[in-house]
Amino acid sequence: MNIIKGCARIIGDEVSTDIHCSSKYLPGKDAAYIATVAFEQVAPGFAKAFNKGDVIVAGKNFGINSSREQAVHVMHRMGVSAIIAPSFGRQFYRNAINNGMPVIECDISGIVAGDAMEIDLAAGRIVVPAKNITRAVPPLPATVRTLLEAGGLIPFLQKHPDWNVGGEAA
Amino acid sequence: MGHTIAEKILGQHAGGRPANAGEIVVADVDFAMIHDARAGNALKMIEKLGAKSLPHVKRVALVLDHYSPPPNMEAANTHVAMRAFADKYGSPLYDVGDGICHQVLPEGGHLTCGDLVVGTDTHSTTYGAFNAFGTGVEGTDVSAVMMTGKLWFRVPETIRIELNGPLQPGVWAKDVTLTMLGKLGAEGANYRALEYCGSGVSAMAIDDRMTLSNHAAELGAKAALLEADEKTFAWLKAHGAAAPKPVKADADAVYAQRIVIDTATLAPQVARQHNIDDVVAVPDVAGKKIQVALIGTCTNGRLDDIRQAAAILKGKKLAKGVRMIITPASRAIYLAAMREGLFEILTAAGASVEAAGCGTCVNITGHYIAADDQVVISSANRNFKGRLGNPKSEIWIGSAATVAASALTGVVTDARTVAGGDWRAAA
Ligand code: SF4
Repeated sequence: MNIIKGCARIIGDEVSTDIHCSSKYLPGKDAAYIATVAFEQVAPGFAKAFNKGDVIVAGKNFGINSSREQAVHVMHRMGVSAIIAPSFGRQFYRNAINNGMPVIECDISGIVAGDAMEIDLAAGRIVVPAKNITRAVPPLPATVRTLLEAGGLIPFLQKHPDWNVGGEAA
Repeated sequence: MGHTIAEKILGQHAGGRPANAGEIVVADVDFAMIHDARAGNALKMIEKLGAKSLPHVKRVALVLDHYSPPPNMEAANTHVAMRAFADKYGSPLYDVGDGICHQVLPEGGHLTCGDLVVGTDTHSTTYGAFNAFGTGVEGTDVSAVMMTGKLWFRVPETIRIELNGPLQPGVWAKDVTLTMLGKLGAEGANYRALEYCGSGVSAMAIDDRMTLSNHAAELGAKAALLEADEKTFAWLKAHGAAAPKPVKADADAVYAQRIVIDTATLAPQVARQHNIDDVVAVPDVAGKKIQVALIGTCTNGRLDDIRQAAAILKGKKLAKGVRMIITPASRAIYLAAMREGLFEILTAAGASVEAAGCGTCVNITGHYIAADDQVVISSANRNFKGRLGNPKSEIWIGSAATVAASALTGVVTDARTVAGGDWRAAA
């Protein structure tokens, strides 16, 4: 899980995942359906053209005003391998980690749709070889990486009910 | 180096020493809450874990407030599941009509100064009014609290906001937060905690302080903490809370930013349609026609809000063409307002009163869908396009005083210009 490779898929600033990627405003629709239409209003065709393993490269405040963790379940279904953005909505950021979705705060300038990227979570590095981009980002804390590796908070606690994450962060 | 209130409370719950901003800690959670808009999926997942793995389930309250009463089958079924869960595991439950989570938790005595409290709702920052670190989480987090009594937190940096001087009559905590939203922008305090201090805070009644901490969610704040004083202690005692463990910031605490607001000269503010940070002073937009006036929600559905509205509408009628709905934030507030005769005043003026709950806050509750081109003025907290079910309507946000004054005249109105607009409870 420390190294993620995937293609960039671009989405704009201030995207609320509650509105565009959860059932909040589509009551009764399940994750399977939403995964086929997610982000349609802000980026037509986004979900249809999404390939398993692609990385969402979003503008600022991705997940702003969003609190539903179902949005993260939908993204898992779409095959999202990680999300990078200059900033995230607070609750969305937490939900992503609790549900095993890597999220990295990073400058996204210069990255365009289809760029192959490599994300090193432990070292804190984003590389886009075709654009000669190498960006250092603060590495994710060990606690967060342990949660991500376990697949999220609940699987983590089933393995470690004592919260013992070992190492530097406790 | 000193510490902020947030660093101290999180540190105390994570082993004892104050934590530092930026650190990730695993902390003991004193109390948690899950409401009906989140419980559906979460409770199914939690039930799978089994009673044996939920030793802390009794310190998690279940609140049926968003769908109160249920607007669809799904919500009705979730309610049945929540009641069954509470019966089976012994969790406290607040049923339909009891009130909004952020109101019933403090009223139920579930939290006190120095506590760490989480809820499945962004406005869980409200508990900061009682000097408790309150923050919004999701169903997964609440499951983790039921299982282990603990959660992980990133310790936030803090912005210290000094409110200089008591607010003028007709000006409320809502106007302070709107001012902050105009300054910092929506989510301008993303990931950060706020600490409000100064004579402006001391002068505020608890109802207004709760607005201050609650509405910080629109700034993106993770928590919005106030120091405790005699008013806090008296309120908590009256509601049966545990003995307070007040936490103060150190004089040399490190802040990400310091802001001073001259609250003594502040005018009432409104956020114009669609953006909570498109804030202007009411006098600058006075005269804008409105058709619907809403008072309620976890931000401004408290007794002082209803008292202020009644003071303005006493013996009067709503302007022609205006409809008004009042939704008290809790059953206790409903009862108090009834006993004080406020509902008689408001009903005679032409307003209607709904049972306590989230009410007209957002279209998911099914309570109010705006018509095309309708202009709504609301004491709620959010006004994005379509929040009341119709992207062609406008939602303007202001204090209960501004909403009631506007309902009286039919146009956006500065409460300071109408009789009764200067009401405030004697401190
Ligand atoms: S009143 Fe509105 S903002 Fe507050 S908890 Fe209910 S739905 Fe959310």
